[in-house]
Amino acid sequence: MTTTTVVHDQVHAIAQEVFAAMVDGDLGLLLPWEGELPALDDALVAWVDLFGEWSGRAVLLTATDTAQELTRALLGLPDGEPVERADLDDAFGEIANVVGGNLKALLPHPGTLGLPQIGSDLPPLEGAVRALHLPLSWRGRLFVVDVWVTTAGTTTEGAS
Amino acid sequence: MRALVIDDSRTMRRIVSSTLERIGFETIEAGHGREALDHLEAGERVDLACIDWNMPVMDGLTFVTEVRANPAWRDVTLMMVTTESEQGQIVRALAAGAHEYLIKPFTADAVRDKLDLLGLIPAEELA
Repeated sequence: MTTTTVVHDQVHAIAQEVFAAMVDGDLGLLLPWEGELPALDDALVAWVDLFGEWSGRAVLLTATDTAQELTRALLGLPDGEPVERADLDDAFGEIANVVGGNLKALLPHPGTLGLPQIGSDLPPLEGAVRALHLPLSWRGRLFVVDVWVTTAGTTTEGAS
Repeated sequence: MRALVIDDSRTMRRIVSSTLERIGFETIEAGHGREALDHLEAGERVDLACIDWNMPVMDGLTFVTEVRANPAWRDVTLMMVTTESEQGQIVRALAAGAHEYLIKPFTADAVRDKLDLLGLIPAEELA
């Protein structure tokens, strides 16, 4: 396992690019979160695991109603239209998949990417530490990108 | 023109399909490589296959290899549409027989540019 520095700016850029291409059509709508983080009472978590010389997990966390809004944007549904749970899970999972895939491309020794998973809680990843915590604001709503790293080496959080 | 959109995410299938339909394609969909092969084995005519890499049951690279191994499907243009963006993966896919490679996330313009390169913009769209 190599020493890993996960860079806030690069991960933010990945998230911005994903949202611009898939959701908003604009790079400037996913901004750093300003101020205290609100509690997420009805959270939805999507994650993909990365395997290889560098192993870890890319995690997205937001409120369920924000994930529903994202799903409507992805699928081109009108504001307020009900979102089926299967569509919600699939759409939010696909965003995690694309973020995770692009994160993998940053690694010095890319491995393989697991399939996206969804839940209300993040299951533990044995031996992992959170290497990056990136709270963002999408349309004023909290959207968090976390990166967890399983490593025997040194992990540096958030050099940028 | 007819396209087969292969992705385990139905969200992504909808995005790719609607992008292609706006360009003038008819589309059919499959959730993994094996299901896509079923379409081809059933005799469905397909001009273009857009293929995700990481899928359950049969991944995109295996699908490309299977299609290229069958001369009856030699006219199907194969375009990977995937988050796998490392150079080594791109080389693997092209070596297996993929014609083009589009990295997620993509824009509708990027899809159109790739299809233009492949000569797959329907004539009525060019008119």
